[in-house]
Amino acid sequence: MIRLHDYVLSASCYKVRLMAALLGVRLDLEAVDFHPGRAHKSLAFRQLNPAGTLPVMVVDDLVLTESTAMLVYLARLAGPEWLGPGTPQASAQVQQWLAFSGRLAASLGLARLHDMLLYTGDIEALRRDGHLALRELESALTECRFAGHDWLVGTAPTIADIACFPNVALSQDGGVTLDPYPAIRLWSRRVRSLDRFVEMPGIHRLHELRPAPAEA
Amino acid sequence: MTTRWIATGLSHDLPNGAVMAGQWQATELAVWRSATGKLAAWKDRCPHRGMRLSHGFVRGETLSCIYHGWVYGTDGGCKHIPAHPALTPPAAICAEGFACVEANGVLWLAPVGMAEDPPRLVDLRPVRTLSLTCDLATILGVEPALGGSDIIRGSVRIGGQDEEICLLVQPRPNGITFHALCSARADVVQVSRWLEALRRSAEEKVAA
Ligand SMILES: N[C@H](CCC(=O)N[C@@H](CS)C(=O)NCC(=O)O)C(=O)O
Ligand code: FES
Repeated sequence: MIRLHDYVLSASCYKVRLMAALLGVRLDLEAVDFHPGRAHKSLAFRQLNPAGTLPVMVVDDLVLTESTAMLVYLARLAGPEWLGPGTPQASAQVQQWLAFSGRLAASLGLARLHDMLLYTGDIEALRRDGHLALRELESALTECRFAGHDWLVGTAPTIADIACFPNVALSQDGGVTLDPYPAIRLWSRRVRSLDRFVEMPGIHRLHELRPAPAEA
Repeated sequence: MTTRWIATGLSHDLPNGAVMAGQWQATELAVWRSATGKLAAWKDRCPHRGMRLSHGFVRGETLSCIYHGWVYGTDGGCKHIPAHPALTPPAAICAEGFACVEANGVLWLAPVGMAEDPPRLVDLRPVRTLSLTCDLATILGVEPALGGSDIIRGSVRIGGQDEEICLLVQPRPNGITFHALCSARADVVQVSRWLEALRRSAEEKVAA
């Protein structure tokens, strides 16, 4: 059984829920009162994760506190094709995007926590760093388009796409618009139309793939 | 400013079934393409309560407002109001239309009733759209080979070759966006990286 200590509005937790759903892996979700309870900072929770962050994944005596490591675990377990083509170059590129997703969390993610949950921080600097990261992603996706590829690494979606997607899709919550990034918008549409995609508040499946509301 | 066509995006960035935010001078617009590929552009204000239609979504041949779900056809007319499902919406409920045409892989906007066609761009292919936080004068300052006002052109050295570059300028509140095209035979990856270098130099000049 895979237990995930989870908060529904957290981008990092959603990363893991999304990956599990795409792989068809069932998670046992344990809701943590992140806001307003700050239960992730309690002594009991920090016994599990001294850093006091979410998500935390527990499988028997394996305890994971980094969402990117959780993606690797889930993919290795249930869908190794999500780790990428496996060449030295592709494996390194996947690692690079996993690390890059940390930069997205440290810029767009914190801007969102600032605007939604009143975190302190220099909001203008967070947004500026967010735009710089989005420009890098936009350039990479533009070069993918030139090469005829839809995804960050290789020709199929990988954990690299799933790691980067949540904080990008939620950037508006932190006051960062995606209007200047057409390649990112198209990539987001592709992620949101994947088979078995799941939603979170603020991120929706491509609407045209949802059934039209029943006529009264 | 005179009434003229302004480029708002590149065709490949607006697939069937998608909507995006566009601009004509200071007017915010929603530009969208139906499932069968019909283009439409309207003021980015829902006739219901004025929310942004570019936040909405396309289903089939209609655009739905994300806020309360009013549904509009490609002619701009309101087709359905979810809160009043039995009502046929009065014809007066209509999004305010703009002209939107596509030529050479570029999406052009103008107020309805423009007599002439959008500018013809021969022997050029679309590359990408980039936004900058500086103004046009700064760009022309860092790359003297380029010149023009809303269509910037010039021949520049990229990867050891002289390449024709064309930037379609869209002014924005805090800078500009340009839609870049290049000679058909140019290497688009090289051109794209050259454009990024141009942006970096121009923005750094402003910061200095
Ligand atoms: N270890 C990182 C932490 C992710 C993270 O920053 N989570 C946020 C919620 S989205 C958090 O727990 N913040 C509390 C804190 O940093 O004190 C990961 O798994 O990606
Ligand atoms: S504002 Fe568009 S439906 Fe209400």
